Amino acid sequence: MASRYDRAITVFSPDGHLFQVEYAQEAVKKGSTAVGIRGTDIVVLGVEKKSVAKLQDERTVRKICALDDHVCMAFAGLTADARVVINRARVECQSYKLTVEDPVTVEYITRFIATLKQKYTQSNGRRPFGISALIVGFDDDGIPRLYQTDPSGTYHAWKANAIGRSAKTVREFLEKNYTDDVIANDSEAIKLAIRALLEVVQSGGKNIELAIIRRNQPLKMFSAREIELQVTEIEKEKEEAEKKKSKKTT
Amino acid sequence: MAATFFGEVVKAPCRAGTEDQEEEEEGRRETAEDREVRRQLARKREVRLFRRQTKTSLEVSLLEKYPCSKFIIAIGNNAVAFLSSFVMNSGVWEEVGCAKLWNEWCRTTDKTHLSPAEAFCVFYHLKSSPSVFGSCARKNMQVTLLTCRHVTDYKTSESISSLHSPFLKALKTQNFKEPPCCSLLEQPNIVHDLPAAVLSYCQVWKIPAVLYLCFTDVMKLDLITVEAFKPILSSRSLKGLVKNIPQSTDILKKLLTTNEIQSNIYT
Repeated sequence: MASRYDRAITVFSPDGHLFQVEYAQEAVKKGSTAVGIRGTDIVVLGVEKKSVAKLQDERTVRKICALDDHVCMAFAGLTADARVVINRARVECQSYKLTVEDPVTVEYITRFIATLKQKYTQSNGRRPFGISALIVGFDDDGIPRLYQTDPSGTYHAWKANAIGRSAKTVREFLEKNYTDDVIANDSEAIKLAIRALLEVVQSGGKNIELAIIRRNQPLKMFSAREIELQVTEIEKEKEEAEKKKSKKTT
Repeated sequence: MAATFFGEVVKAPCRAGTEDQEEEEEGRRETAEDREVRRQLARKREVRLFRRQTKTSLEVSLLEKYPCSKFIIAIGNNAVAFLSSFVMNSGVWEEVGCAKLWNEWCRTTDKTHLSPAEAFCVFYHLKSSPSVFGSCARKNMQVTLLTCRHVTDYKTSESISSLHSPFLKALKTQNFKEPPCCSLLEQPNIVHDLPAAVLSYCQVWKIPAVLYLCFTDVMKLDLITVEAFKPILSSRSLKGLVKNIPQSTDILKKLLTTNEIQSNIYT
């Protein structure tokens, strides 16, 4: 059935599937979860940190990478493929800046990455990139952006999205909890990202990494202590909400 | 090809070519040497039952020595982790035997010193509640099987994005009267390998048996997949055996951290 049409990337199956691209999307699901939220004045990227081996240097295992001063991305999937895509995107950002004397727009660099990924779905001898990326940043006009790309080379703008393992659970949580009030407030947006990750992350705040970009400010990575503080606040709020609920019922 | 009752596929002899002797001989292309090699391999294949602590073979069949009314089999690392943490931590389970096998598909040629990593199966028996294992074998025995399969093997007419993996499906024999803890496995999905063999055997010998199959997208040892087996804890066959659930979750987490293989391919 599928087996005769899934070996070569350049072969369509009779019912119109490109199986290698679909299998690449399965590879993305093997990566840990990443969530992106677009607020009114802030963009947030949160990722589930993979547990690091004892002798491994933690700094070299990063899922959130800056592409330029005002754009950063988080990925899920094959680490090595991500490294190649990030390097190409970084070079493109600088090349664009030198040529046009303006920093790239978030949409431009997303389109560049998506075009790169699509090229690899259409040439023989190469396989698609096994990563999905969440790209966030602010454009010169001050508008926040969040884009998601996938191995097929498509990209879309989102208000909030998740990729990687358990992405569906996180996305459903976001659909329920993403409101205009929440995103209007920066700290609420950050808390929403952490709450979304806590739904699926196994050991709580220790395994979460967070990055934010505020308008006209550079990328800020949260330290472990700052994340712990946020998690404690969230747990306190949850307890208070439950107390209120139980008071109402009694 | 034909499938026997025990789930193994055997090549059925061709009924069409018996008249023409010459054609058959040409088609077979099997020399006497091939036959001899095959005979030697068949002799080498073995399944051994023994006690791990004393390394002595078990002469008598395990079911005769320890007749039981509930037989639970876990296949695959997630199912085994579930049993180890949730069922086997309550009560004292004594290891009664171990089965090791060798056939030509095993990667080692040394069959006398099989390492623990080789394919083998360990049998445990609940020491503190021998009444659970009271009556004679086969008559009142109930078999529960647990195993996992990748969700991409699950065939359904629904859209794949609507599936929330991991999820449980059940398949039972005719004599199993209890309602299963989850929905039944729909057609055209089939069960393979050891669970299929065990279920076929139970169906033929009219033993009530149920297979709980967990479809997951992570085949290695994973907390979420193991916890997907939790609805089974409310079934009649496992109810008496499970005591302390929070403690089990801790044991499971410890098991996961010790068994975690560091892989940096996916981030």
